Amino acid sequence: MPLLSEWNRKLHFYTGLYFLLFLWLFSVTGLFLNHSQWRFHQYWPQRKQTTSQHQIQPPSENADLEKAQNLMQQLGISGEVEWPATPPAPGRFDFRVAKPGRILEIKTDLAAGRATVERIDVNGWGVMTMLHTFTGVRANDPKAQRDWLATKVWSFSMDAVAVGLLFMVCSSYYMWYRLKAKRRWGWIALGLGMLSCGFFAAGLRWLDR
Amino acid sequence: MRFYLWIRDLHLYIGLFLSPFVLVFAISTLFLNHAWKPWEAAAAQTRSAQIQVPAGLAQSQGMVRLALAKQILTQLGVSGEVDFIRYLPKENRLILPVSKPGSRVTIDIELGTGRATLERRDTGIWDALVYLHRSPGPHNAMLRGNWFYMRLWRWFADGTVYLALFLSVSGVYLWAALKAERRTGLILLGAGVASFLMVIYALTV
Repeated sequence: MPLLSEWNRKLHFYTGLYFLLFLWLFSVTGLFLNHSQWRFHQYWPQRKQTTSQHQIQPPSENADLEKAQNLMQQLGISGEVEWPATPPAPGRFDFRVAKPGRILEIKTDLAAGRATVERIDVNGWGVMTMLHTFTGVRANDPKAQRDWLATKVWSFSMDAVAVGLLFMVCSSYYMWYRLKAKRRWGWIALGLGMLSCGFFAAGLRWLDR
Repeated sequence: MRFYLWIRDLHLYIGLFLSPFVLVFAISTLFLNHAWKPWEAAAAQTRSAQIQVPAGLAQSQGMVRLALAKQILTQLGVSGEVDFIRYLPKENRLILPVSKPGSRVTIDIELGTGRATLERRDTGIWDALVYLHRSPGPHNAMLRGNWFYMRLWRWFADGTVYLALFLSVSGVYLWAALKAERRTGLILLGAGVASFLMVIYALTV
């Protein structure tokens, strides 16, 4: 077997083997996100909520992210910082810290030097589901930026899985095309896939019904 | 041997059929992961029309309101998935965003006068892929699938998952049948599992 063909085949299944658990996670949680009515994975009704009060030193930093990170250090918490949709009242500094499985709402009274932490913990189904969409960014919120190392690593993993899948598709086309005996039915299978997918991706916008 | 050949052919043909769908989800992941929105620059086309406001629209709720809103879409010749329905009681206005992969129409209706303003934006193929990736999704679950073609897409999205799971399991079987590749394959499988668990640990502890 020529070298390119041999290495293409090896890399196809090496890539698949390496990303196997990642693929299973994103596949299964994709089903969960599309079927929120399935009872067995409904984690939100089973969430545990607690509230605690803490004395804090008002941060001296000016930038919001640095203020938040100062408070997180004082409170001994880690995670991805998220900002509320509406700005807090003067004298207050509110933000959210999230990680898959746990959400913390931090409400700080800067003048009184007091922080209220509302904590929400969810179960394993919640952790899995949150992992699917945990990117640290939001399309409609330019202020949301990845600020936690673990988020950056996870985001890189998502990119890697996507690129891995793109490679696996291309390598599969190469492998298939080399098999002359499989070309006819292969074209039919690929054609059906392209027609059906293309109908949704490109054809629907022209539909008037 | 026969079982191996069947699995190999199924892996091949199902993989080929599924490959465009895998491309949709993989490419759109890159956009979603980096909040890239190249379609934001798309120009909007605006037009106005006079409509007959269905009786009881302002007072209605839930699926009844959706059904009445769809009558407005028919009058305007607009089709697509209704994203949500926002009623502004002080202004007696209804906002109705309607989407299709690659196209968004926002309909602003003055209920008192029956005047509808339509803003249409063709958002292009990349937005179409992102829209399909996110559909139907967990938000406004009761409303989702209110357009036949998005109900149909739900079946294809589910099918993509089930077939991808089959491809992964059959792929492992096909690899395991290759004795010469078992050692390297196990190392990579182990490395992947270890990477996965380490990242999950870092994220959740």
